[in-house]
Amino acid sequence: MIKVENVYKRYKEDQYALVDCSLEIDRGEFVFVVGASGSGKSTLLRVLLREERPDTGQVWVAGKELSSMPGWKVPFFRRNIGAIFQDFRLLPNKTVFGNVAFALEVIGKSKRHIMNHVPQMLELVGLHDKQDRFPDELSGGEQQRVAIARAFINRPLILLADEPTGNLDPENSWSVMGLLERINRTGTTVLMATHDVGIVDSMRRRVIELDHGQIKRDQTRGVYGLGQQTS
Amino acid sequence: MAISLEYVVKETSGNLWRNRLMSLAAVLTISVSLALAGAALLLKQGVSTATSQWKGGVQLLIFMQPNATAAQTNAVSSQLKSLPEIKSYFYMDQSKSYQEFKQLMANSPELVKSVTESQIPPSFRVVLKNPNDAPSVGSLFQQQVGVKDVNFNRGAINTMLHVTSIVQFVIVALAVVLLISASVLILNVIRVAIFSRRREVAVMKLVGATNWFIRIPFMLEGLVQGLVGAIVAAAAVVGIQSLFHYVVSHFQVTVLSNFLVSSHDVVMTELFVVAMGIIVGTAGSAFAVRRYLEV
Ligand SMILES: Nc1ncnc2c1ncn2[C@@H]1O[C@H](COP(=O)(O)OP(=O)(O)OP(=O)(O)O)[C@@H](O)[C@H]1O
Ligand SMILES: [Mg+2]
Repeated sequence: MIKVENVYKRYKEDQYALVDCSLEIDRGEFVFVVGASGSGKSTLLRVLLREERPDTGQVWVAGKELSSMPGWKVPFFRRNIGAIFQDFRLLPNKTVFGNVAFALEVIGKSKRHIMNHVPQMLELVGLHDKQDRFPDELSGGEQQRVAIARAFINRPLILLADEPTGNLDPENSWSVMGLLERINRTGTTVLMATHDVGIVDSMRRRVIELDHGQIKRDQTRGVYGLGQQTS
Repeated sequence: MAISLEYVVKETSGNLWRNRLMSLAAVLTISVSLALAGAALLLKQGVSTATSQWKGGVQLLIFMQPNATAAQTNAVSSQLKSLPEIKSYFYMDQSKSYQEFKQLMANSPELVKSVTESQIPPSFRVVLKNPNDAPSVGSLFQQQVGVKDVNFNRGAINTMLHVTSIVQFVIVALAVVLLISASVLILNVIRVAIFSRRREVAVMKLVGATNWFIRIPFMLEGLVQGLVGAIVAAAAVVGIQSLFHYVVSHFQVTVLSNFLVSSHDVVMTELFVVAMGIIVGTAGSAFAVRRYLEV
């Protein structure tokens, strides 16, 4: 599903954000990406979303090679990928319904399709009774659930999450994680960058640790920090 | 990919409404500059109609009597041939002169109807080696039998051509400056629109909207501004033209009637104005989209 081979990425001269990264993630996996601030987690996710091109190396996502993909194909590629972020990225002047529907409108889906799918998705994230509210009338956790509904409305093969619980209290964090787990159980591959020790340690999923742009550790039922692992 | 008409209309009109003051400024600048350009074109066409008899450097017109005999005409012709001051000349017979008359008077159909071909004087159009010889050569023919009138008023024509070319240059220069400012204004309106919608644009990119889907509403916004400005300018051009018509016919200013342009010329001018509006609007927004919309 995701394959990264010898990827280097630097923003400035001699300041690498990714150094010789190689990894492989299968369909349906749930993977945490951890590492200190500035270690390259967001950069890795941006490369997988084709928001950045690697300097060298190759990246396959959902069957497509990204470093050679022409710009006009990128929008069609992104329709197979969902993405959520620490800052939610909702549109403040649209309602909950409008925010989720927007993702369908701008890829040319019909009104009927939108009317069918959006309420269903809001039901899934538990916000059907708040569909007419605006983002600033919601808690952080609810806003992130709207963002998840928007990211998942096209049933993407892969969900990329960059610190989705970074702005949330533990209770809201757990409700978001519950949702991500459910989405993962439908067969969607989830890749989540996080600093949240509690979540990583209690979920015991695959953990990839980045350190100064290098992959330092790749563990199948891992924990957040080294030395705390139990077998 | 299908872009729904409803979406495009909604987005474009929404953008225009949000930036309505700046859009208005852009539209007004475009209308003023295009109205000026249109007026300059009409002036050029009017002058070219009024001076059409003098085309090709003709400095001397010898009008024959409409009923002059062939012998009288030949006498003038052979005399012209023998004069050393003359570079070239040609003869406009009655039927050609009548065609020209009809063209010149296209705006006064009654006059054209009241005059028949046999009433039109044929003429010799003479180009001299030295324009200053026009009065002396002209006076040679003034008293000749068969000659109706001699016109060597090239000086006045030259002055008129000179003045109108200066006026035209000033108007066109002004129009160009205003058109450039209009494109910059449009560019700026679109830049602001892009900036105020950067969140929407970011989300659109994230969920896989195509580049054209993102660009089209912004491009259309510029196009609409250019088009509206052009329509206002086109109306102004028609206004100027009918005002001129009114002045000429109401106050019987016959001198000016030579300057009346045909409706064909007016239509061409209007087409030019509308095309320029579309070009300026699209160019301004295309540049803004290329420069500020990173898709
Ligand atoms: N747009 C950019 N321009 C220049 N340098 C950048 C840019 N984005 C990231 N970097 C640099 O690249 C490196 C990796 O950044 P990245 O954002 O991937 O780290 P991160 O692991 O996501 O950090 P955090 O945990 O704080 O989010 C850092 O040194 C950062 O300063
Ligand atoms: Mg980051």
